[in-house]
Amino acid sequence: MNFLAWIPFLEPINWFHTWWYVLLIPLAFGLSVVYKAIRVPNLRNYWWQVGLMTSQIVLGVIALGIVVILFVQFAIPVLTN
Amino acid sequence: MTPPETKPVAQSPRSCNPTAAVLAWAFPGLGHVYLGQRQRGLLIMFGILFLFLVGLLVGGLDAVDLKHDKIWFVGQAFNGPIAFIADFLNQAIIQGKPEEAKLHLIGLGHVNALGTLFITLGGLMNLIVILDALYPTEWDDQPTRRKGDR
Repeated sequence: MNFLAWIPFLEPINWFHTWWYVLLIPLAFGLSVVYKAIRVPNLRNYWWQVGLMTSQIVLGVIALGIVVILFVQFAIPVLTN
Repeated sequence: MTPPETKPVAQSPRSCNPTAAVLAWAFPGLGHVYLGQRQRGLLIMFGILFLFLVGLLVGGLDAVDLKHDKIWFVGQAFNGPIAFIADFLNQAIIQGKPEEAKLHLIGLGHVNALGTLFITLGGLMNLIVILDALYPTEWDDQPTRRKGDR
């Protein structure tokens, strides 16, 4: 990895390919921040609500991933035989 | 999702506020600041700009490209003028260069897809914000929800 040649915001982080799935966390966080800002009736519990929604999105996608893996690894071979 | 603790008070049709909607598009969060909900406006601003900047950081300036990713740009355009500025800079700085010089400036695979996705989802979230500014909701737990957000 050569960080010296990398110009932030201009050049893509091409060395990040193997870690792309980690970006689900900031993506879920950003979506939660905006959604909860217009949705929660009371801002007192705002950051708790953001954390909760972020966790729900991340765990939901992980669960979806597990279902897809099980389907591809086990269900499809059974169905094709 | 956790359901809202309180229900909207207003039974009558919501009032329309086009100025707030235009401001919400002009810069994320500005519509809610205009409506007097400064704290919510600043949180929206933080969220949308967070998604936009992380998208640019991951995918580079090439993540906003009206010429080559038209469908994605439809969603990105809801971010407001910042998306058009990013596209202008992309066309001026990156796309105008010869192929060899462009190689390390163009995102590939997951990185390009995720950078584009971050900015597009930010734009689509801002569309929801624009609609919320256009038809602002009144809640029965005031002043915490709307009028007391200063």
